[in-house]
Amino acid sequence: MKHLKPLNAKAELMDAANNPEAKAEVVAMQTVVGCASTTDPGWEVDAFGGVAGLCQPMEADLYGCADPCWWPAQVPDLMNSYPDWDQNAQSAGTDWRKLDAVFPKARD
Amino acid sequence: MRHHFATSFRAALVAAALLPMLLAGCAKPAKDYMAIPNRPNQVSLIDLEERKVVRTCPLPGRYGSGTLQMSPDKRTAYVLSNQFENIYGVNLDTCEITFSAIQSEGNTRIKTTAAFAVSADGTELYVHQNPSLLLRDRYEVQEPRVAVYRIADGLKAKPVRSFPAPRQVILMQTDAKGTLYLAGRDIYTMDTATGAYSVKLESQTRKEARYGQRDVLSIWPLGQQSNEFIRMYTVQRFADETRKPETAELMWGYERIDLATGEATTRDFGPLNVVLFSGMTRPHHPNEMFGALSQLQKFDVEKQQLIKSVDLEHSYYCVNFSTDGSKVYLSGTFNDIVIYDAETLEKLGNIQLPGGDMSLATAQVFPRAP
Repeated sequence: MKHLKPLNAKAELMDAANNPEAKAEVVAMQTVVGCASTTDPGWEVDAFGGVAGLCQPMEADLYGCADPCWWPAQVPDLMNSYPDWDQNAQSAGTDWRKLDAVFPKARD
Repeated sequence: MRHHFATSFRAALVAAALLPMLLAGCAKPAKDYMAIPNRPNQVSLIDLEERKVVRTCPLPGRYGSGTLQMSPDKRTAYVLSNQFENIYGVNLDTCEITFSAIQSEGNTRIKTTAAFAVSADGTELYVHQNPSLLLRDRYEVQEPRVAVYRIADGLKAKPVRSFPAPRQVILMQTDAKGTLYLAGRDIYTMDTATGAYSVKLESQTRKEARYGQRDVLSIWPLGQQSNEFIRMYTVQRFADETRKPETAELMWGYERIDLATGEATTRDFGPLNVVLFSGMTRPHHPNEMFGALSQLQKFDVEKQQLIKSVDLEHSYYCVNFSTDGSKVYLSGTFNDIVIYDAETLEKLGNIQLPGGDMSLATAQVFPRAP
């Protein structure tokens, strides 16, 4: 690489990224609540590798996970991305049929 | 004259008869109430003796988290609302919104997980803020801070002081002396005048030869009924310092601040057999620790033994107690509160809330005059 010189902006970025000292500092999210990636087992499998430790029934835990963006891959994130997901379903236990799948919004 | 005297005498007799009734009316005995938020964004005051909802007050904006702290006079509930952003103070007797802290501004979005507390004298509100700068092409995470609001500033409150704070703070509480506690990776104390903070009780940074690293899930500021600020941890306890995983017992423990003295204690209290989300010690029975999620469990702290475990009809996140310690109240998840006998763990009944799910709401129980 030392004999190659970047010719455009993208190449300069790649060159800089290849230099460990030039990397920007990675700042962690504050908490696991709030859309940080979390690897805790819990939605599909409990901490013991079974399902007995999961919330019963799963609807009891649905908003407990959606409200704080706890499992953003499994449950829509009410905190930031899909704030109206629950508007027609105040009770997850009785209104779960009204909770639709969500899709990424088109960018402006 | 005689007629006048007789009239005055009769009036005095009537007054004497009425006086005890009037006095009784002025000083009704305190009884237990619960304040609890749920969907759609609202907060209810429950008479726990009658097991009835006294009043339900609407809150502005969207629901969540539903974390709730009471004013020292137990008349105003402060609720984290609008998807973890705003804190509203609502008078539970009139439903008037008396205070609001609107945190996000411009392109700075501020979220508070569940970490806010009211000062011991009821004049200030302390909030742990997680700001993010929303730029067109990226979000920039800003430094977390503790903002101090003056409650007398009412509906247009802005921070009057602001201090750098540790990251990952999930809970805050104040004690009788006015010390502010922040519970995150460790439990810290902060001087609310200067912002100086230090570690009060090591948790994740604790190094013990026979123990693994602690793990904590705690987003309910609980314990006032036992005059404590408490959260539970799970940990591996090894047989010896060789730390062989096959020798490890999985243990529950607690990290506790005595809200009267400020004394910090931490200890294991029992074996980890099921997942529990919140817990506290039973009022007047400090050796009994209770925890709940899909089971309600009662532990003997000294013996580190499970005393009794009962399966619940559905999961409940949040544990609390009557002032005398005779009843356990479980709340959170759906919209019913279940009552158990703290001695026998027999179910005593349910209280149904109007509206939808509580999800992560905090139920605070407190004695006060009606």
